[in-house]
Amino acid sequence: MSDLSVNEAVVMRNVCKDFKVLNRHEGLKGSIRDLFSRDYNTVSAVKDVTLTVHKGEIIGYLGPNGAGKSTTIKMMTGVLEPTSGEILVNGKVPYKNRTENCENIGVVFGQRSQLWWSLPLIESFKLLRDLYMVPQKDYEAMIELYRSLVDIDPILHKPVRQMSLGQRTLSDILAAFLHNPPIVFLDEPTIGLDVSMKAKIRELILGLNKEKNTTVILTTHDMGDVDALCKRIVIIDKGTKIYDNDIEHLKNYFGSYRTLKLKLADDTWEEYLIDEKTTDVMDVIMEKQKEKKIKDVKILEISTEEVIKKIYEGSAK
Amino acid sequence: MRKRGLKFYAGMYRKILVQDLKSKMSYRADFIISTFGMIMTNLSGFVTFMILFHNFPEINGWDYHHMLFLYGFSLVALTPVQCFFDNNWNLRFMVQSGDFIKYCFRPVNVFFYFISEVFDVKGLGQLAFGIGTIVYAWIKIGIPVTPLVILKLLVFLLTASLFMIALMNFAAATCFWIKGSGYVMVIMFRFKDFAKYPSSIFEGIFKIIFTFIIPIAFIAYYPSLVILTPDNVPLLSWISPLYGLVFVYLSYKFWMLGVRKYDFTGS
Ligand SMILES: Nc1ncnc2c1ncn2[C@@H]1O[C@H](COP(=O)(O)OP(=O)(O)OP(=O)(O)O)[C@@H](O)[C@H]1O
Ligand SMILES: [Mg+2]
Repeated sequence: MSDLSVNEAVVMRNVCKDFKVLNRHEGLKGSIRDLFSRDYNTVSAVKDVTLTVHKGEIIGYLGPNGAGKSTTIKMMTGVLEPTSGEILVNGKVPYKNRTENCENIGVVFGQRSQLWWSLPLIESFKLLRDLYMVPQKDYEAMIELYRSLVDIDPILHKPVRQMSLGQRTLSDILAAFLHNPPIVFLDEPTIGLDVSMKAKIRELILGLNKEKNTTVILTTHDMGDVDALCKRIVIIDKGTKIYDNDIEHLKNYFGSYRTLKLKLADDTWEEYLIDEKTTDVMDVIMEKQKEKKIKDVKILEISTEEVIKKIYEGSAK
Repeated sequence: MRKRGLKFYAGMYRKILVQDLKSKMSYRADFIISTFGMIMTNLSGFVTFMILFHNFPEINGWDYHHMLFLYGFSLVALTPVQCFFDNNWNLRFMVQSGDFIKYCFRPVNVFFYFISEVFDVKGLGQLAFGIGTIVYAWIKIGIPVTPLVILKLLVFLLTASLFMIALMNFAAATCFWIKGSGYVMVIMFRFKDFAKYPSSIFEGIFKIIFTFIIPIAFIAYYPSLVILTPDNVPLLSWISPLYGLVFVYLSYKFWMLGVRKYDFTGS
């Protein structure tokens, strides 16, 4: 690889990952049979992905279920070895230097807490401080920064097992940033959270990225996260990269699309996605008016949600 | 990268242990009930032993108090695996659910980080019971108390404990390859019950298996001979500390190999 790539947060070149899946059998007898079985299926989870993530960026790593997002993250964190291709994280090969790589990354897998289950959060923080050998001064400064960004005091002395899902996710994100790693991986961090907790977490991520210039690689199915956090998105589908550019660029691509919202007699809104190149918006409104009474009309630009939906649908064909 | 040596790991273990104990204490009812439970378990094991052996004056030249010594020896030798390595019992669930991945995101040894998470206090009751039994049998047999004998006792208790640790590491790590590793663990754990009997009761093929392949004869029998029959110690007893260390090392390597082969299921 060129010397320049050492200065990027993440560089992936032609990375593939295949899983060999054993057709397993039940029971003790089955287990023993499995030991000698050659009955494999191969699943290609990631196919020939090339990607560069610059320092300080927040990128949205998107794709439908089973696209290979988590698998990519597992390779970047060094727990999985790529089948072929090269990866550099902070200039090093993650799988070959797992412990060293772990010092320089933070990881959150949504709904999978990494904290000590029975310990109050503050005790988990102290153990992490010692595990990562964070100087006391830096640790205290980080806690102060957390305090300025989010109201941590109500959860600081709560054992993790007594926390709500939202509080636990918040705690996990704070824990991932605690040793001030240059890169943080967030795999579906807002899954299952309510609207206000989502907003809080987005604000926190944005604040930490700004303060510490942390590179954030985020996977999510919530386009609200993308709108709030990511300038650039990468989309993969069935293991192949299908888009890698600014989100605005993508919207221009669908520039002729409009979201038409109609308010009905019972005060509910109906939504239609219309391509102005092929269909006239006024025609649709007039058509609908014949069927039902319309109280209000809004015409909006295409939303990120709709754009992504179109991309997923387009690649599914 | 900053170096993490033995001192770091020892300090880290102590800190995690202290926090864990503190939080366990805070669930007082839970603590009392499990303490009571562990006393009852040990008591019932002990009573069963008494009933079984009190009426047998001798087995292969072993009298009642020798048997009792062996019993106490095995209880003490099984304490470390119970107290410090209990998380091995959770390994297969974590591996199957994919939760195991969290142990791989820290800049420390995966085996250490996994094992350090759980300290089982129940093992302490067993330790007290075992020590009591050894002391009682010791007095009844009339073994002299000298610093050298005490030192030997400690060294060989430690040796004995290595074998059970290694066996359970091996058994637990099979879950990285097979689905039915629960059976393997239970079978291994049941084997430890044989450790309470003098290995001389095993004949032929079983003797070879329990000495070299699944070396439960080392959990109590061979190491305890150093104390019980000081004039007639077999070679296997003397080499058992070295054998134990090698065996633990191999089990650790096997465990870590499992982690490397594991493909981290779950999203
Ligand atoms: N350990 C594994 N063994 C076998 N197949 C796997 C394994 N991990 C992932 N896969 C397969 O690889 C593909 C990609 O999975 P991955 O978890 O990376 O998807 P994802 O993009 O994270 O999806 P989601 O949005 O649902 O989390 C899927 O088809 C999945 O079944
Ligand atoms: Mg995923």
